[in-house]
Amino acid sequence: MRAIDIHTHPVFFGTGHSRREANRFAAYGLQHGVERMIILGDVLAFGRSPNAKQLVIINNQTADLVRWRPDYYTGFCALNPTLGERAVMREVERCVGGLGFRGLKLEITNNARDACMKPLMRAAEQWGVPVLQHTWSMTNIHQRSYHSDPEDTALLARRFPNVQVIMAHLTGCGYRGVLAAKGIDNLVVDTSGAFPEAGILDYALEHLGADHIVYGSDLPIRESSVTIGRTVDTVKNAADSEKILHGNTRRILKL
Amino acid sequence: MLFDTHVHLGSWPFAFLPEFTAPQLAAYLKDRGISRAAVSPLAAVLAPDPMPANRALLAAVSRTPALLPVLTVNPALAHWHEQLDLCANTPLRALKLYPNFHNYRLDARRFAPFFAEVAARKLRVLIGVRLEDERHRYFALRMKGVPAKQLAAFLKQQPDLHPLLLGLYLGELREIAKRASNFSADTSCIETMRSAEILAKEFPRRIVFGSHTPFFNTHASAEKLIAARLSTKARIAFARANAEHFFGL
Repeated sequence: MRAIDIHTHPVFFGTGHSRREANRFAAYGLQHGVERMIILGDVLAFGRSPNAKQLVIINNQTADLVRWRPDYYTGFCALNPTLGERAVMREVERCVGGLGFRGLKLEITNNARDACMKPLMRAAEQWGVPVLQHTWSMTNIHQRSYHSDPEDTALLARRFPNVQVIMAHLTGCGYRGVLAAKGIDNLVVDTSGAFPEAGILDYALEHLGADHIVYGSDLPIRESSVTIGRTVDTVKNAADSEKILHGNTRRILKL
Repeated sequence: MLFDTHVHLGSWPFAFLPEFTAPQLAAYLKDRGISRAAVSPLAAVLAPDPMPANRALLAAVSRTPALLPVLTVNPALAHWHEQLDLCANTPLRALKLYPNFHNYRLDARRFAPFFAEVAARKLRVLIGVRLEDERHRYFALRMKGVPAKQLAAFLKQQPDLHPLLLGLYLGELREIAKRASNFSADTSCIETMRSAEILAKEFPRRIVFGSHTPFFNTHASAEKLIAARLSTKARIAFARANAEHFFGL
């Protein structure tokens, strides 16, 4: 069993930013068959809306981990679209152009529908990198002014068909989220986050197909044994399992 | 092989969960390394009276020895004596409570006679703290998990009772453990990197395996223990020994 984990946070609320801890985190992944991790940064370390200086700190920490373990970590650039086009373009150029990051990560600074997403999506298209958008059903969490519902992330992908969008947190998106994501060629859903709830991955497989699902865990909040366990127990077809666990991510990130 | 303390039989209207007959469930669990399971009737959670679902469960598992029935009791209903009578005749002599779904507080004074009777009959108590992640479950189910403060107060109020708390988060477990020691907890909703190792260090005798089937993928829940780096002693304790001790097996 091989896997690439598209959703991890080795540096998490200030812990994990050392060579020793980076190696320890990687060793944990390897123990569970995870051959590479995509690291998304300590995205909430400064609250939900970090400023430009704080983003530099977050992304430099990611760059350090990639530098320490290039064989294992691939970095994504954490951004705050509300800082405006100039700030976004500058950080994308620094991280993707300069540091070799392979994608853009968005948390809960704004809703994916907001107009401030436009320059960021143009940058993603220009640099040819995917956008991973934190997403959760907002039915019970009433934060939609800055927190993206699956309907919002699906709309983002429809608006920018030339950008690969990764909708995070399949279980949090739920059945409604799967239906919102259906039929959008440039959208995949990652399996990270939440407990290993039964039923939802089967439903996603039925409605989206294996080409539109990528494996993710949300380490260190979750466990590789559990998140991989749900995937291998649910996805019985070997070709589908291979796509979800690593093939799709390899294709999207050109790894 | 694992002893699973947290399994349900039946359907749930708010998610597309796998459904089983009792023999199918036993075979499904066995395929995933679970040789025995404490099973409760899911229909009793939402029903106005748990007894029909309890009787249906007893009939369903009567020829499936791997599934050990734990009946659901609602102490807020007038016929709680009758409910306890049924529990007293089950192999585990145990009962399960759902305070949030059945709309009562465990530490309410009106339940003193109920818990006195439970103690007199030496029945074991399991408490369903939560069934689903409150963040994304069906919108109309507005109740939250049983609060840790309420559970801690209840444990202090009932020092001779040693209930098994099902579905606690790690933070809740730690909070309750600061204030009470007379309880056990299952692994189902305790998830963080290396959770089993953390539990082995902090709560070696308090933790039992619970898959929360069919809400959670059974294999995934089992892997939390199977893939963990535990001492043989801790592995056996979590896999079955602590549960056997709890149920007096």
